[in-house]
Amino acid sequence: MRRLLLPVLASALLLASLAEGRPARAVEAPPGASSCTGCHAAQKIPDSVIPHIAGRKAADIATAMREYRSGAWPSSVMGRIAKGFDDSQIDAIAAWFAAQPE
Amino acid sequence: MTSRRAFLKLTVAAGLAPAVASAQGTGRVVVIGGGFAGATAARTLKALEPRLSVTLVEPNRIFTACPFSNDVLAAIREISQQQFGYDGVVRAGVTLAQTAATAVDAAAKTVTLADGNRLSYDRLVMAPGIDFRWDALPGYDEAAAEKMPHAWKAGAQTVLLRQQLQAMNDGGLVVISSPANPYRCPPGPYERASLIAYWLKIWKPKSKLLILDSKDAFSKQRLFQNAWPQLYPGIVEWVSLSQGGKVTSVDPATLTFVTDFARHKAAVGNVIPPQKAGAIAAQAGVADRTGWCPVEPVAFESTLQPGIHVVGDAAIMGGMPKSAFAANAQAKVCAAAIVELLAGRKPVDPILINTCYSLVAPDYGISIAGVYRPDKGVLADIPGAGGTSPLEVVGGFRSQEALYAESWFKTITAETFG
Repeated sequence: MRRLLLPVLASALLLASLAEGRPARAVEAPPGASSCTGCHAAQKIPDSVIPHIAGRKAADIATAMREYRSGAWPSSVMGRIAKGFDDSQIDAIAAWFAAQPE
Repeated sequence: MTSRRAFLKLTVAAGLAPAVASAQGTGRVVVIGGGFAGATAARTLKALEPRLSVTLVEPNRIFTACPFSNDVLAAIREISQQQFGYDGVVRAGVTLAQTAATAVDAAAKTVTLADGNRLSYDRLVMAPGIDFRWDALPGYDEAAAEKMPHAWKAGAQTVLLRQQLQAMNDGGLVVISSPANPYRCPPGPYERASLIAYWLKIWKPKSKLLILDSKDAFSKQRLFQNAWPQLYPGIVEWVSLSQGGKVTSVDPATLTFVTDFARHKAAVGNVIPPQKAGAIAAQAGVADRTGWCPVEPVAFESTLQPGIHVVGDAAIMGGMPKSAFAANAQAKVCAAAIVELLAGRKPVDPILINTCYSLVAPDYGISIAGVYRPDKGVLADIPGAGGTSPLEVVGGFRSQEALYAESWFKTITAETFG
């Protein structure tokens, strides 16, 4: 009974929060993620040259962060920021951004 | 069909709705101050836990942002582009109390308002920003600020300083006095000097700009000092503390800056005064002898008054500077932690980022970044992370950072005010 209902319930809750158009619950956001939105906001910012990453594939975000961190991918500020995060922290933040509405 | 009651029971049992019970009855949060920290805290609290009752206490109907206000001085931006209302905060479900907070009673957990009302809270977020130490620099008081503007709270003061620059004769001396640490926006005085120099070079090319400093070092120093002789040769001069740059008094009648070694008579004088946490912080008992507010590094709860959180420029945040980015980041972490605390859970250790851009010219941006985590009771820099833009760059690096700066401003104001 419980095993059957839980996925149904989870999707119902997810749908409810999407329908209300609420921002995703940052309380579930992993450490560091809420700071990222100071530049990479949940909402799309018109005429912004900063990439909008909400809803992008987690693997792409994580790869970008690792390459910024190693310097393999040149950057202005992202390399300096990525150096503050280890692999598991990067993966958690990437997964969180991927789960946000695009 | 499962009954609603059974449904709820299941949800609670599964740990999916733990905030419901505790948010009812114990979910009143008051936020004092509607700047980058306070407005963000209020909106984030409602976004994370809509059942909370959140009241934002802010007397001004319009917020005038400091970041990019140096562009207004250089006439490359208008003050209206710095201004934001609170409609988005109200849309988020926050109750707006458009009045000043006059007293906080930490024991009774109440905030008294200028309109006579009193608000009770379970958790209080104080984001009062800065006030000036009007007693710290002889000769400089609120009346003097009408002759020698500070323009360190954006708005009428910014417009006044711009008008003074525009009315100045070509060949005039502009003097900026920069305070000792800590103060709002550490690289701000040097961005200001840069952008005023940019404007002088075009419109009043015989003029000079002198920075009198109470410090021997400043944020992004080598980047600024590399750029000034290239971009503004013969215009900008910086006098450090050890070279006698500390201003010991001013005379607003003659626009004179006095140091231990010299008197500098300005055509336009900009005094960036010593600062402290917004006045309500001292009244509430959350400011220490330094005038700023010590907090623990996870939920930013005051170490002096339990139940009161302090975020933004007013707080002592370890390695984090007093910037709008930092204020917004701290407010989001604080809001999430308060939701956890009200639900009876322990907030996890956060990681915070600061990114701060300065413009040396409209198309010449530089940045500093840092990543922070709680360590031994304070927010500490994560070693190996952060730092400034490189000294040597190729191609369009500086113009790219100037574009990022502008996009950041659009983003942070949307993040803060909705």
